[in-house]
Amino acid sequence: MNWSLFFGELVSGLTLGSIYALIALGYTMVYGILKLLNFAHGDVYMVGAFIGFFVLQWLGGPLKPVVTGWLAVAIMFAVAMIGCGALGVGIERFAYRPLRNAPRIAPLISALGVSIFLQNSALLLWGPQFRNYDSFDLVGVKSYHIGSNFFISNIQILTISVSIALTIALTLVVSRTRTGKAMRATSFDRDAAEMMGISIDRVISFTFFLGSALAAAGGIMFGLVFGQIFSLMGFTAGLKGFTAAVVGGIGSIPGAVLGGFLIGLTEAFATGYLPGGSVYANLYVFALLIAMFLIRPSGLLGSPVIQKV
Amino acid sequence: MALLELHDVSKAFGGLHVIDHLSLHVDQGEIVSVIGPNGAGKTTVFNLITGIFHVDSGEIVFEGDKISGLAPHRITNRGIARTFQTLRLFLNMTVLENVMAAEYGHTKATFLEAMLQLPRSRREEKRIRKLAEEKLSFFGQRLAGYRHDQPAYSLSYANRRRLEIARAMATNARLLLLDEPAAGMNPHETHEMTELIGKLRDDAGYSILVIEHDMHVVEGISDRVIALDHGIKIAEGLFDEVATHPLVVEAYLGVRAEAEAV
Amino acid sequence: MSSLGGGQPGEGGLPAAAPEPVDAADRSKVGVDEWVARVDERRAARKGLTGLVARGWKRLPAPGRLVVLLGPFAIFPFITNEGNLYRYGLITLIYALLAMGLNVVVGFAGLLDLGYVAFFGFGAYLYGIMASGHSGHHLQAEIAIPIVIVSTALLGLLLGLTSWRLLGDYLAIVTLFFLQAFVIFVNNANGGLNDFSYPFVGKVDLTGGANGLDQIDPFNLFGYHITTTKGYYFFTLISITLLMTMLYFVNGSRTGRAWRALREDPLAAEVMSMPVNRLKLLAFMFGAATAGFSGTIYGAVQSGAFPGDYDVGLLITIYAIVILGGLGSIGGVVIGALVVNGAPELLRSSANARFLFYGVLLLALFVAMRPWYKPVVVLLGTIAFGFAVHGIASQVWSRGTAGHIAGGGRLGRALEHWVLLPSHTSTIAGWAYFALIVSALVLTLVRGWWRALVLIPTLYLAAFVWENKLVEQVSGATRLILLGTLLVVIMNVRPAGIFGTSRVEIV
Repeated sequence: MNWSLFFGELVSGLTLGSIYALIALGYTMVYGILKLLNFAHGDVYMVGAFIGFFVLQWLGGPLKPVVTGWLAVAIMFAVAMIGCGALGVGIERFAYRPLRNAPRIAPLISALGVSIFLQNSALLLWGPQFRNYDSFDLVGVKSYHIGSNFFISNIQILTISVSIALTIALTLVVSRTRTGKAMRATSFDRDAAEMMGISIDRVISFTFFLGSALAAAGGIMFGLVFGQIFSLMGFTAGLKGFTAAVVGGIGSIPGAVLGGFLIGLTEAFATGYLPGGSVYANLYVFALLIAMFLIRPSGLLGSPVIQKV
Repeated sequence: MALLELHDVSKAFGGLHVIDHLSLHVDQGEIVSVIGPNGAGKTTVFNLITGIFHVDSGEIVFEGDKISGLAPHRITNRGIARTFQTLRLFLNMTVLENVMAAEYGHTKATFLEAMLQLPRSRREEKRIRKLAEEKLSFFGQRLAGYRHDQPAYSLSYANRRRLEIARAMATNARLLLLDEPAAGMNPHETHEMTELIGKLRDDAGYSILVIEHDMHVVEGISDRVIALDHGIKIAEGLFDEVATHPLVVEAYLGVRAEAEAV
Repeated sequence: MSSLGGGQPGEGGLPAAAPEPVDAADRSKVGVDEWVARVDERRAARKGLTGLVARGWKRLPAPGRLVVLLGPFAIFPFITNEGNLYRYGLITLIYALLAMGLNVVVGFAGLLDLGYVAFFGFGAYLYGIMASGHSGHHLQAEIAIPIVIVSTALLGLLLGLTSWRLLGDYLAIVTLFFLQAFVIFVNNANGGLNDFSYPFVGKVDLTGGANGLDQIDPFNLFGYHITTTKGYYFFTLISITLLMTMLYFVNGSRTGRAWRALREDPLAAEVMSMPVNRLKLLAFMFGAATAGFSGTIYGAVQSGAFPGDYDVGLLITIYAIVILGGLGSIGGVVIGALVVNGAPELLRSSANARFLFYGVLLLALFVAMRPWYKPVVVLLGTIAFGFAVHGIASQVWSRGTAGHIAGGGRLGRALEHWVLLPSHTSTIAGWAYFALIVSALVLTLVRGWWRALVLIPTLYLAAFVWENKLVEQVSGATRLILLGTLLVVIMNVRPAGIFGTSRVEIV
């Protein structure tokens, strides 16, 4: 048993999974409230990664940042999260809100349109080439180990812990604050919530803000972990993020995180152990999705939807 | 043998027991009314019979065959059709199409035959159309002639209710489940509806299970009345017996009123 | 006209109504009721020229409409050259065929299938496996094509079964993933390093990998070889005509009604005896089979099947065709294909693209703002604004006006004096792009004269962004950006598509 391979893939999987979890959270929250598959979410993630990149450039670049490496990273996070939060709110306001009462397919196609728009705008403005985060020069990559087989780098630790921290923060907001209560009410019964005096527009905007901010955080973490970002990264990441949300049970926040880690681990272990590894890794994730649909359509932690007739 | 029987049926949503060990039956040619305060579980009974929900325990038997657990469209093919409390017409289809669509279950022409316009498909189309027009003519001038090609959303409320009944009739059902057919109607329309329900039994031979709140309608049509409250049957019998039954009065009006009524 | 419920004479001081005829009670009031009931129809009927055309169209019997729609296509090959016939004719027809299948899935049955073009590719590849120099088999078309149709339908069945119990949204994700899986598969199934080793046969070169499956045979139909563009063109035209006819019949059959019912209200449909899941599966399979058939044509025309052709880009194009043409409208798809396919071809040269861009802007301006003097005012204002900005910029910022419009002809040269053309564009173009988006969004929020005011800098910004950025990638990213915007705008303005019928929705 090759333990170092096992632990290597385990850590890889958890790191990847944390990123997917952050994306999945955005999907699950929006679907919970609007029953909408926000196709553009993956591209918001990509924009977040790019905002982080440009902030880094503005701060002097990874080699000679104006402030210390970790502070630069913190600033990148802050700016990207707020920027993407605003982007998410804007998208909702102009592409989804007018279609709240339209046939179900209309917002889906609008979402598709936004996704195409964002992806290709990025391609047009920033080109198809990869951009470097250069985490090595920025913060220095240090590797820690337990025993002779378990290795984990500081960036991986950062990714996993930030992800967990943000999830905890989100859970606190949703369960302890009034806005969180309003969000939960809206996701149960929009009309009733509106009649109880909750401003649906504000709740939905806030939901989009949170989801998009989390996606942006995920984007930056991707850049830090893998060192490079590119305009088309939103597509597959978004797909896997949504798969994670569905596998974990759409509408459930812990489910999204669980799903994220599951997908990340599947991808990592498939790459490491199964034939055709990295090329077919996406297929294995797909197979997992199909399996979940057949066995338990409401996901691991989701609750089956009861329709009032 | 009864046409429809519910044996000890229960249904719970989470911790809420909506239907609790309910047994009832409808005989051939009967009109049975189900009454009870809101939340008593009346529509849930319809949903269970038509297969939208599955029973947690107990069974539902129609013409001697167990139907609990079947898919809704199969139950409809057996001979049970319903209308909805909140009207669920195919609004963007025409009046005639709404009724014709419901005949799917007793048609056979396949997709391929329709594509190639083979004789069987053409014959069946004519038959479907004729049957639909026949069912619509049951309602007199209201849904006749020019109305056939109008979209359903252009109909008045009362006409929509009638259309829903016509649609249910088109499935060639033998048992109709009418969920609050007179809801939202003015006295004139209510009177017409009451007569219509009687006509459905007398002229067209349907057996009918009706949920209704308007006691005038219930009194006017019922052979038998069943009262539900909190998912259990609290009274059954002729209208006069049930209407004055202490439990029923209590369910609608509360305990003190019951005391005053006695 | 009989008295409209004449009142009692002298009631409450009201003037006495005309005395009713003796048999008033027996007279049917159907005429009156009908007139009242038809009021919505009369309101919806449009006036003027469009109304005339719409009414004429409605009165035309179905075969007549088919002739009107496809007639020009039949004449087209005789009035144009080979190149245009291929680009504007054949490809349009193939896309229209493809879109028609998708229309059944999305427009008739309401299922969001995001992996649709995988069936298209599957058709091409399967045909290639059966009839190509690459694979060594040379089956005749009349055998190969039906095999492809049936196989693709079965594939659709398998895929559809996986989402048997699911809401439509989940189907979208499953199908999207399927497309990804398909692309990965055809890229690697060449018997090479990354391929699977199948039982009994080991590694097989099925698809030629990233290089594609080449040397696909032209159609050998009962001994007759179709080798010319005209040949394939007419083959496709006949196929489309047959398909449209069959769909027209299906629409008026129990399946067509059931599909529409299931799109309206799946629960009610199920309870009204329609087996909803089976119907969805049927629609899905039919769409897949149509796509597979189109794939064989495409593979034969291209003489090959290449992985890059069957990806998300094509999916978006076909969706745009269906949406533009109107979900559920059989004929609209053909118009949609014409527009969506014709436009990018026109966009290939940047000079043409420029005309198209400014032309569409002007058109949109004049359509959206009535009466006519308003857009004229805005236009004049924008031109003045532009000259002002250009003039100021050339004084204070020489680099701002140093650039040139390449290949623009007279329009280009005129524009050089109006639009700012910085010599180094990248960062400022980026910010201008962002500013343009914000400005356009603000436009949707304001009304009246404010809107006219905001329009001026917006239009100028649009020209700036176009000349400095968008024009660079006219056939690539720009086309998709415009397509994406178009999708969002259409959904907002006319969710049913251009030729779809407006629908009343139960909220």
